[in-house]
Amino acid sequence: MNSLPVLMGYLTMGFAAGVLLSVKALIPCAPLWSALIAFGAISGTLSFAVVPAIAASDPCYSIAVLTFAINFRYAFYGFSMLGRWRGIPLLQKWFLVHSLADEIYALDVACRIPDPLKNRYYCLWNHALCATYWVVGSTAGALAGAALPIPSRGIEFAMVALFLVIFTDQMKGWLKRHAL
Amino acid sequence: MPSDNTLYLIRVVATAWAVTFFLRALPFLLFAGRRRPLPPAVERFGTFVSPVILAGLIVYSYAGLEWRTAWPYLAGALTVVLQIWKGNALSSIIAGTALYMTLLALTGCASVPVAHLESKAAHPLIRVTTSGLRFQDRPVTPAEAVKLLEKNGVPKDQTLHVLVDPDFDDQQALWVFQHNYLHRAGYAKALLMIGERRAFSGSARLKESSADGAVIPYAPHAPRPPRR
Repeated sequence: MNSLPVLMGYLTMGFAAGVLLSVKALIPCAPLWSALIAFGAISGTLSFAVVPAIAASDPCYSIAVLTFAINFRYAFYGFSMLGRWRGIPLLQKWFLVHSLADEIYALDVACRIPDPLKNRYYCLWNHALCATYWVVGSTAGALAGAALPIPSRGIEFAMVALFLVIFTDQMKGWLKRHAL
Repeated sequence: MPSDNTLYLIRVVATAWAVTFFLRALPFLLFAGRRRPLPPAVERFGTFVSPVILAGLIVYSYAGLEWRTAWPYLAGALTVVLQIWKGNALSSIIAGTALYMTLLALTGCASVPVAHLESKAAHPLIRVTTSGLRFQDRPVTPAEAVKLLEKNGVPKDQTLHVLVDPDFDDQQALWVFQHNYLHRAGYAKALLMIGERRAFSGSARLKESSADGAVIPYAPHAPRPPRR
């Protein structure tokens, strides 16, 4: 399937986010929360960014602001899906919307199946599989972080590195678009 | 009965989900049942806003790292260079994080010599509290404190700052420590500072420690402690 690169990416990124949560957030039952956060907001950046906020017991409104700032881009993903997802039953559409993350969206866009029904099942499978990779990776990472003595000093850099990578990619794309 | 912590985490998950889902659903709510292309201004705004937010997040998250050292910037440079060169997000992240963790493990803040910390005066090595003497937050006896000073090579000809908690009022004990221990061992320039009480780590800073008028230098004109 097309989702194989996402499998590798999501499992490892989810693993890293899970490890980070279990060693840095200082909460009991970290694997459970890791899974819930992973499924609740299928958003890699948020899974990383929420860890220091939880460790500092930030109030919910500040977490809401953080989520809004990080995931604001998702408000624009839906626009290109408007026409394509027309006529999908509400419950399925909700699930599609719920799991509209970066890589999943990229796969949706890359798919060019003209038949609406086939396209719909492609999207549903894509979303379900990728969401599963993400949750499994996050849970496994949190389990490993709780069980193994992983050296944790400095591991919080993974989040900054993720931001840097996304930012670099955006800059690359911008430069390419403006034909420099 | 779930604990406060559990309730808090439930609220966190619910908040994260609600905000994310709302954002993702926004276009479907706005354009429900309409077949109209997106105004180009909105599309441009979308591509512009995301990097700006990310840049802010990067700056903000550097505050959580050891940003006074060069290590996060080196690791960040490696991450960006790898990403430009190879374009593989995962390997860039792993390489940058591994470099940062290695550099921290090799040096970290511990690489700053103790004597260097002392000379900045914002991080006194010795603190006097009502529960006893502390050397870098470790409870010690006065004799041990002097030994530790000598072991760490704190220069005897420089001013030695000693932080005294404001609620410590045993002037005689202070005098005995300053005179019978520090001065006899050669630390003639001990400076007692009355500071506010706070956790005192490598990065902790004293607020106006010398400006609150409570500095008692070791000098002949200093107020004499009452004799028994």
